[in-house]
Amino acid sequence: MNISYDFWIWVSAVMTLAIFSFLYRDNPFYKIAEHIFVGVTNGWGVTFYWHRVLWPFLFDPLFNQHKFLFIIPFVIGMLYFTRFIPRISWLVRIPIGLSMGYYVGASIPAGIQAYIIKQIQGTILTPQNFQAWHAGNMGIVWSIILFIGVICTLSYFYFSREQKGVLKVSARIGIIFIMIGFGAAFGYTVMARVSLLIGRLQFLLGPWLGIID
Amino acid sequence: MKIVDSLSRIDRRIIYLMLAIVVIFPLIFRSPLSVRVMPPVEKLYYAIDEIPDDKALILNYEIDPQSQPELDPMGFAVIRHAFQRRIKVLIMCLYVQPLGLAQNALTQITNEFNSVAQTNADSIIYGRDYVYLGWVVSPLLVMLGMGESITNVYKVDYYGNKTDTLPLMAKIKNYNNVGLLVSISSGDPPKWWVEYAQNRFGLRVGAGVTAVSGAEFYPYLQTGQFSGLMVGMKGAAEYEEMVEEKLGIKIRRRASEALSSLTYAHLVLIAFIIIGNIGFFIKRRQK
Repeated sequence: MNISYDFWIWVSAVMTLAIFSFLYRDNPFYKIAEHIFVGVTNGWGVTFYWHRVLWPFLFDPLFNQHKFLFIIPFVIGMLYFTRFIPRISWLVRIPIGLSMGYYVGASIPAGIQAYIIKQIQGTILTPQNFQAWHAGNMGIVWSIILFIGVICTLSYFYFSREQKGVLKVSARIGIIFIMIGFGAAFGYTVMARVSLLIGRLQFLLGPWLGIID
Repeated sequence: MKIVDSLSRIDRRIIYLMLAIVVIFPLIFRSPLSVRVMPPVEKLYYAIDEIPDDKALILNYEIDPQSQPELDPMGFAVIRHAFQRRIKVLIMCLYVQPLGLAQNALTQITNEFNSVAQTNADSIIYGRDYVYLGWVVSPLLVMLGMGESITNVYKVDYYGNKTDTLPLMAKIKNYNNVGLLVSISSGDPPKWWVEYAQNRFGLRVGAGVTAVSGAEFYPYLQTGQFSGLMVGMKGAAEYEEMVEEKLGIKIRRRASEALSSLTYAHLVLIAFIIIGNIGFFIKRRQK
């Protein structure tokens, strides 16, 4: 055992233990740690964005380099604050509309290509897709299962007709696929949360207490 | 009846205590598990390994403190791999939180390599072998802009050097000079790279993601949109195994060390889920 003498490691360890104390029940130590975290995060965010965004990208070019065209984005950005003045609060729609227009324009065609067309192509039963599984002869089996899963899951979400007959069978199979998907996602969630616990315990047992390397 | 009641109402604090015990003991009394490398990680390893000499690897380091235990070992392993194979690396972030962690990783790994380097050619030198581009505002503008000119998007690097004065950046102009981009992230950035950089510029993309979002990313591997994929601590351990086995880099493997704890924690949770369900079904039958 080789306990750290580093002040900041102690701060980090005490904060970790304070947050972990919530596992027993809510208590003042947890509340203190939570408030410190929120305060530090906000303070850090404000100073960071001032030094790394507002100053180098707006105020420095505008006031020091006299690039007066920067007045336009400056004024448009300031319109966000008009929502605090009820009489002219409608002006906030201008910056929101501009940024929404830009992002939607950029993302819709790209999104359709990446998330819909390519994914549909991946579902079609082709030799190329069989090989994508890297499972030898089993590739065709996995591709067929994927194909059935996609069709049946989509049929479960088809609400324009009563689910009976063939539609009922396919919807039931779809539910099985959906449940397997939820199970896989939950299993991965457990793994992720346990990994975070391991990370903190590695820190407490290592740099703080010096029990492990 | 009492046993059944207690089975279905186990105090959550008992579960936490059991979890803490099974996680702590394997960390102290190490019992390493063998790591079997799965095809998604193997594909990523070879995708990086096969980057030609005249092209670079872009490492999008989106590792923040809340995903550090899972993703940091991935970042370390990928950087060690690239440096060992003398692949040119550009490191950049789309968000601000990872900046310090990326710098820590680079400092530690360059020190590891330079402490055993005999000559200038063996050393890992900033500006020649790698550049830390840092962060500039708006992910979408960065991803699209880098396709035209990287130095136009990142006019200065993380340390304030003008990027067009760095020797490496004279060779790496835009995505045409990039062999692969690996995005290690706890969020959506790997998908954004596919959406914007791959669709428009044909950039090859690999990913390292947290386990919680793992299921969401596998479809992109199957369609070939990802050139490889690491998921969670297990994925990181697999990459560490590849780096040690193929490149002979024997160094502390943080993800692999944690696998025993991870396995025992899963077994405990499975046991509690089974116990809880048995209690539930017995109670339902009794009603």
